[in-house]
Amino acid sequence: MSQTDLEIVVDDPTAPEDNSPSLASTHAVEIIVCLLLLALAATLGYDNWRTGASWDSTGPEPGYFPFYLSLVLGGGSLYGLIAALAARRKASETFVTRAQARRVMAVFVPTLLFCLVTQFLGLYVASFLLIAGFMRLVGKIALWKSLLTAFLFTAVMFVTFDMAFDVIMPKGPLEAAFGY
Amino acid sequence: MEAFGLLLHGFAVLLTWKTLVLMMVGLVLGIFVGVLPGLGGPNGVAILLPLTFTMDPTSAIVMLSCIYWGALFGGAITSILFNIPGEAWSVATTFDGYPMAQQGRAAEALTAAFTSSFIGSLVAVLLITFLAPMISSFALKFGPPEFFAVYLLTFCSFVGLGREARHKTVISMSLGLLLAGVGMDTVSGQLRMTFGSAELLRGINFLVAVIGLFGISEILLTMEERLALRGHAASISLRVVLGVWKDLPKYWMTLLRSSFIGCWLGITPGGAIAASFMGYNLAKRFAKDPESFGKGRIEGVFAPETAAHASGTSALLPMLALGIPGSGTAAILLGGLMVWGLNPGPLLFVEHKDFVWGLIASMYLGNVVGLVLVLTTVPIFASILRVPFAAVAPMIVVSCAIGAYAIQNAMFDIWLMLGFGLVGYVFKKIGIPLAPFTLALVLGNRAEDAFRLSMIGSGGDLKVFWSNGLVGSITTLAIVLLFWPVIDGLLARVGRTRRTRTADAPTPPSRP
Amino acid sequence: MTLAAALWVAPAVAGWEPTKPVEIVVAAGAGGASDQMARMMQAAIQKNNLMKQPVVVSLKGGASGAEALMYMKSSEGDPNKVLIAYSLIYMLPLSAKIPFNWRELTPVSVIALDQFVLWDNSAGPKTVKEFVEAAKAASSPFKMGGTGSKREDHVLTVFLEQKTGVKFSYLPYKSGGEAATQLVGNHTESNVNNPSENLEVWRAGQVRPLCVFDKERISYTAKVTDTQSWADIPTCKEEGVDVQYLMLRAMFLPGKVTPEQQAFYVELFHKVTQTAEYKDYMEKQALKPIFLTGKDMVQFLEEDDAQNKSLMMEAGFVAK
Repeated sequence: MSQTDLEIVVDDPTAPEDNSPSLASTHAVEIIVCLLLLALAATLGYDNWRTGASWDSTGPEPGYFPFYLSLVLGGGSLYGLIAALAARRKASETFVTRAQARRVMAVFVPTLLFCLVTQFLGLYVASFLLIAGFMRLVGKIALWKSLLTAFLFTAVMFVTFDMAFDVIMPKGPLEAAFGY
Repeated sequence: MEAFGLLLHGFAVLLTWKTLVLMMVGLVLGIFVGVLPGLGGPNGVAILLPLTFTMDPTSAIVMLSCIYWGALFGGAITSILFNIPGEAWSVATTFDGYPMAQQGRAAEALTAAFTSSFIGSLVAVLLITFLAPMISSFALKFGPPEFFAVYLLTFCSFVGLGREARHKTVISMSLGLLLAGVGMDTVSGQLRMTFGSAELLRGINFLVAVIGLFGISEILLTMEERLALRGHAASISLRVVLGVWKDLPKYWMTLLRSSFIGCWLGITPGGAIAASFMGYNLAKRFAKDPESFGKGRIEGVFAPETAAHASGTSALLPMLALGIPGSGTAAILLGGLMVWGLNPGPLLFVEHKDFVWGLIASMYLGNVVGLVLVLTTVPIFASILRVPFAAVAPMIVVSCAIGAYAIQNAMFDIWLMLGFGLVGYVFKKIGIPLAPFTLALVLGNRAEDAFRLSMIGSGGDLKVFWSNGLVGSITTLAIVLLFWPVIDGLLARVGRTRRTRTADAPTPPSRP
Repeated sequence: MTLAAALWVAPAVAGWEPTKPVEIVVAAGAGGASDQMARMMQAAIQKNNLMKQPVVVSLKGGASGAEALMYMKSSEGDPNKVLIAYSLIYMLPLSAKIPFNWRELTPVSVIALDQFVLWDNSAGPKTVKEFVEAAKAASSPFKMGGTGSKREDHVLTVFLEQKTGVKFSYLPYKSGGEAATQLVGNHTESNVNNPSENLEVWRAGQVRPLCVFDKERISYTAKVTDTQSWADIPTCKEEGVDVQYLMLRAMFLPGKVTPEQQAFYVELFHKVTQTAEYKDYMEKQALKPIFLTGKDMVQFLEEDDAQNKSLMMEAGFVAK
């Protein structure tokens, strides 16, 4: 818990403006989600039908439940689709405003990059980069604090998992250079 | 009063300095692994198991079971503070525990969680002490139809509960059940829905999904509002703790009900997860204002925690008496027993009295010491909330990734976690409830297997679910619960009382 | 001092030695026979200081053990993972079309052979003959519990059906332990568990062994229950049902490891079989001791593979 003792104090950066234009309405998103779910239901339904979805002498075949479940999922999404389309005329709530979307992306994109870096450089390097980068660029926290926190956290994780408990995390060239 | 004499003997075995020290060490290690996402109960115990190889069996089991209690206590901490359930049965704790933390009542929620864990375990230990021989024969009554009936009961207690539009609950549950089926089908030995992918062979791991759905998506949602966790650490003092304790008698019904559900489902193996959900659902169902659940109600913490711990503890009984582990952690302890040359089974109670009663006595002591330990450390954990979000957010992301990876050592799971994070974010915003999805993902496969084994056994005859008093009454109870909204409505009409419905659902409810 | 230490260590570092914790990969769930065996080896290695690096047991029981096979296959060249294999290495690729072949892994040693026994509830028929008669006379088919589908237990059941003319309903459970308690609870009439899986319920007098599926009786003569030892169980052949099946327990490294690495593990597991922990474990679980390595092992595997394949074909469990 050492990193909590660092006494990092920071002003809350501006909250998203309330008057930011809407990027998507809830109904529109619902329609997209329902369409995606319908496609998933169709794919899984087909696969299970191929596996065998009948009820033979010893009870249901492996595809039986999943097949009917995909029908249920399909039905539910279809209902949702129709409901969303019907309600579309009415004033719709905002799913996300432009300002909000930007902020969500500010955390989603680094997370995505973090996963990508983990794949190639290992988890610890990725974790250092993510924490330092996020604190500095998004949180506007002083550079030395960001670097120090990131290093301490990553080091604590490394000692805990890889050394103390033998839980082996994905590692890359840097760790290999130190013989791990 | 033979049990009592044996229990005293057990305490005598325990009360040496060496065991007491081991106990403390075990508890601290346990809390530690419980708080670290990705370690949690079963993994933590598994990792620390080799430490005990050189000890005598009694000291070893005392230390391991204390790690277990510690991990159970610790698991509640991340659920409440970060909405990341470390164990499957902590999921229900997040429903109200996290909102409480957001409202600045983290200390209260943690105290409630620890206290109810303590109560749940204590009731279960009492049960183990006095009913051990009887219970083992009860557990043997459970064949596939009985198991299916229990799972059905859990599912039915869920349907028709949510405030969300009904088709969204249906979508959520069917999606969960479908994803639970991915991978190898045990009954036929065939692969399903893997599309030739070696990664999907394993199936979709429940914890990976939960870490994404709850942990990652929460960060996205928090970010949308402003750059801070929406709660701040309350001042934790003896006053908060005493305040929560003073209110305990008000919730005696919830605590009793949850303990009962927990013990019952713990003894019927494999029920710890079902117990926490069922405890939560029933508390909600019998509450005067079910709408207030999910918004930071203390009963919503008491109910699942009591049930989960009552079942987690009573799960040790079938393990000792029958060699069937009722939970993942119990399964690891089982492995430990073998290493120390003890074979769990009906004869363990006869041949290794010292060991069994030493263990039972350590459950009492471990719980008391554990409760004191966690309560005194609450301020440390709650102070995590004071750290700026820009620092905590990436650390949570890293912890989530470590957790997701550690479960199966698979990079694919990190990507899966990210995907579920996105799904969770969108679902939460358009009002598709996540709870039915997680429940379905955990229990879906077991329910299906139990159903199909019942069918093979009966030659495809559905009457098997009413073939004896036990299975018949569980099945009937499940069906009554399923149609409870209808029954309740009829009763209400008869009584000419109308409940006012709140219209604060996140989306305008569509026609039911 | 340092020089002395260096000299002393020298012979040990001549060969290859692991520099990272060694994973024993278990292709089954927690508490199963493979897991128990892995924990026994972990304890034997650690207690007797057979290796400097720690041993971790990693459970990869997903997809009925296919997870472990794919994990080993994808770990090519990694000498820190050892699979504790059993007959699934032959059967799973056939029944579920898993793209796996044990020849892609590096064989280390066969360390034991596991028996199968026909068990029934102690309240049920007392001999194989009575059991077969009762099963024939029953109005609904006898339920036979076992682990997994289209695997050793299932194959044995099919062979039992062929030899006796009895029809069973086979119930595939997730583990042998579950099959054992379901038999005790009278939810099934019989099972074909390994000795270890039914040991405790046998000692408690809740189940009865009818016969063992081997050419000869089990060699352990120490009393297990008040009246019986493993050696007292007749073979199925003696009882007029000629069905035999033994299951290997063997260690494999991933493919493409160096001969030095292979040699290290051959030596390590040879040492393990000399420990008191191993010997004790073998007797307690009624396993047949065996130690094969090198050419002998490969020959054994080839023959065993061919036999399992023909059994699977005959039983109709090979996926098209």
